[in-house]
Amino acid sequence: MAAAGATGSPPGDGAPYAVELRGITKRFPGVVANRDIELRVRRGEVHAIVGENGAGKSTLMKTLYGMHRPDEGTILLDGRETQLRSPSDAIAAGIGMVHQHFMLADNFTVLENIVLGSEPTRGGRLDRAEAGRRIRELSDRYALNLEPDVLVEDLGVGDRQRVEIAKVLYRGATTLILDEPTAVLVPQEVDELFGNLGELKREGLTVIFISHKLDEVRKVADSITVIRRGTTVGTADPRTTTARQLAELMVGSELPSPETRSSTVREKPVLQLTGLTVPSLVGRPAVDDVALTVREGEVVGIAGVEGNGQAELVEAVMGLRSLASGTVSFAGQDITRWSTRARREAGLGFIPEDRHRQGMLLDAPLWENRILGHQTRPPAVKGWFIDRRSARADTERIMREYDVRAPGPDTPAGALSGGNQQKLIIGREMSAAPKLLIAAHPTRGVDVGAQASIWELLKDARAEGMGILLISADLDELIGLSDTLHVMLRGRLVASLDPSSLTPEELGGHMTGAHDGSVGAA
Amino acid sequence: MSALRRIGASLFAPALAVVVAIVLTAVVILLIGQDPAVALRVLFDFGDTPAQQTQSIVVILNRAVPLFLSGLAVAVAFRMGLFNIGVEGQYRMATVIAAGAGAAVVLPAPLHVLLIIVVAMAVGAVWAGIVAVLKVTRGVSEVISSIMLNFIALGTASFLLTGPLRGSEEGAAIITTTDIPESGRFPAINGVFDLLGLEQPRGQLFGFLLVAVVVGVVVSVLIKRTRFGFDLRATGLSPSAATASGIDARAMVIKTMLISGAIAGLIGLPDLLGDTHHFGTEFTAGLGFLGIAVALLGRNSPVGIAFAALLFAFLDRAAVPLQFADIPASVVTIIQGTIVLSVVVANEVAKQLTRRRAGRASGQGDSGTADGGTSAGPGGPVGTRITDDRQEAGA
Repeated sequence: MAAAGATGSPPGDGAPYAVELRGITKRFPGVVANRDIELRVRRGEVHAIVGENGAGKSTLMKTLYGMHRPDEGTILLDGRETQLRSPSDAIAAGIGMVHQHFMLADNFTVLENIVLGSEPTRGGRLDRAEAGRRIRELSDRYALNLEPDVLVEDLGVGDRQRVEIAKVLYRGATTLILDEPTAVLVPQEVDELFGNLGELKREGLTVIFISHKLDEVRKVADSITVIRRGTTVGTADPRTTTARQLAELMVGSELPSPETRSSTVREKPVLQLTGLTVPSLVGRPAVDDVALTVREGEVVGIAGVEGNGQAELVEAVMGLRSLASGTVSFAGQDITRWSTRARREAGLGFIPEDRHRQGMLLDAPLWENRILGHQTRPPAVKGWFIDRRSARADTERIMREYDVRAPGPDTPAGALSGGNQQKLIIGREMSAAPKLLIAAHPTRGVDVGAQASIWELLKDARAEGMGILLISADLDELIGLSDTLHVMLRGRLVASLDPSSLTPEELGGHMTGAHDGSVGAA
Repeated sequence: MSALRRIGASLFAPALAVVVAIVLTAVVILLIGQDPAVALRVLFDFGDTPAQQTQSIVVILNRAVPLFLSGLAVAVAFRMGLFNIGVEGQYRMATVIAAGAGAAVVLPAPLHVLLIIVVAMAVGAVWAGIVAVLKVTRGVSEVISSIMLNFIALGTASFLLTGPLRGSEEGAAIITTTDIPESGRFPAINGVFDLLGLEQPRGQLFGFLLVAVVVGVVVSVLIKRTRFGFDLRATGLSPSAATASGIDARAMVIKTMLISGAIAGLIGLPDLLGDTHHFGTEFTAGLGFLGIAVALLGRNSPVGIAFAALLFAFLDRAAVPLQFADIPASVVTIIQGTIVLSVVVANEVAKQLTRRRAGRASGQGDSGTADGGTSAGPGGPVGTRITDDRQEAGA
């Protein structure tokens, strides 16, 4: 493993690492979430773990916090091999976790929230005086600025986060894991948080900081470990590494697969979006005034750090999400008000981002999954009835042609590996010969072999005149497959790039907004 | 997996549950100082003469018919992930209004019966439809609204019985609606006993049994073979995947609740058309709740529900004879309760087992690729390593 060679040197002062992970591998049915993770965190440093969403950061942190046990590898805390069977083991070992989504009871006071679960008691009753004293002490020592008797519902987001941190410190944590702590904060609060982290560091505590915001990571971290596709790909020194170099490490800059650049783009547009705006629950729209055209035989890629409106854009095109304004036109017809089923029948194929949530019925056999989304079309139906025989036969054909490895069409979909599930979905969508295919992260979580064959399938479909809207976090995939590439940032399309003369580094820069001079985007 | 093994696997859970329930009940009977063996003997003692024995069978079948319909009504909704607790209220409303309608008109026999059935189904569907509309338009949980509607149905049915539909005389001990005339009654099918060469029982076997069988077949085909049934099951398995596949979740809620309610409307009819011919204060309540247990035991499949309904009816038959043997009739309720509890647990265990087995079976096929992991890019593992080294040198 490349990472091992780069990070193998022991710390200069000879002291053991506060946290050391060796060869951690964690599998879930069908996917390898973490593979050969190597992580070394020195005592008293802020160590950032960066990686795209879905790279395996959360799985790794859950391993470290004892929420599940790794299949392989060892965890060393202060140089001693440790088994973490549950979060309480982790807490006992001095590891505390500050979750991205706060876990606080609104109608309790700060004090009550902090002591909840490890209350100091006197004569069987909560010893408020003792708890208050200890909380003030913590607050002063780490400059957390907490008022023990205020109700949590009256606090702002930054304050709540400090309550979470105090909760962890109160339990005697010496290593704190912060999961995307800045995701919910405004810039001033981020600065305050970084001040707090400085205090923690000064007191000799260790902080593991998970993020994908590169500029913040470079500001606060003492060292950085990069995770990509489930494994650690290297470490970096924030002082000598640029945001772009980090982005490159994070998304991978392997050369795209040999791509025949002969354009198959035809004149006729299949999908046209104009002024598409999708509201979000709070604040600015999730998708903001997007205009986009996909022509026959064209692959239009949407690049962007996740959470910038790509998912909402896809759902809006599929008719799963209502629009604030704008129109969707498909093959010359205005389909803005059409139902999802009508859109599918008209020739819209869909490879969803989360295949378990939107693409499959895990408890149903493969042949029923073949029908899903195609309930109204042959070969699976005859009038009002399901044609089981031809559904099974067609499932067998898909399994053969798309190399889906499974015992048979009656196998439950949940028993297949992620790659095989994905190939079944792609085979299913292709079988209906759609005019436009929406492919959201088509190769996420699939193994190398499946990935290559999925790319081939998409290329073939494009050559046959299918339009493809490709959303991906894999920059090579985007550059390699796309004919036109748009960058999405905060719900807007901020740049249109020519993939034939684009490097992943440049693209990464556009995605984080670095190219527009607006650092701190995403 | 062979068909035999599949059937074996699906029978495993309910069979285990029944055994566990019998053991637990035996313990309870021991605790109250009686002999479990006596209770077991009473359970299987159908009588001494052939006529008594066929009579026991009639009692069981007549009880099983409404239980089966009730289980079906619950299961249809449950297949889509809807918990229709309101079956109780739906069949009460359906029965009282159908009784009133049946008594109010005079029609040729088959039409008269058909009218009563249609009225009952329509009323049940409307009552369940209220739940669906509330859920779709206002987001009210169907559990809450259907429980509430049960109470409203109770009150409304009492009002209808004592007010507009009252048929019995002032001051009568038992208040009933007017009797449905002869043309609106469903003939018994005691002929089957002659056909099978068995002794004629004392009582009458409900002809509605045939209707129940037809309904069971129709529901079975609807759920397993039709597009609608596919949409219904898909929504139950994964609402998000169903929506993404183009199923209109709101329309499905309405349609499913209407079907569930229409079936629920039939529950009171075997009694109404075959025995009492009126709705009254001695109306059999509680079938809607028992239906939930029956559906659970039958794992929401029509065949399973039929067996579950027969089992429950078989147990219910013993309620009276048990008291003759000095054992409280509530033993039956205890068995039924423990069966339901153990079937929930056993279902979960069986599900875990099958999933693990399926996982192992297909895991062998591609364990190599699974271990291959998700790391390398288009350039393959070697290329990845080279480029990574270059990056780290740069960093």
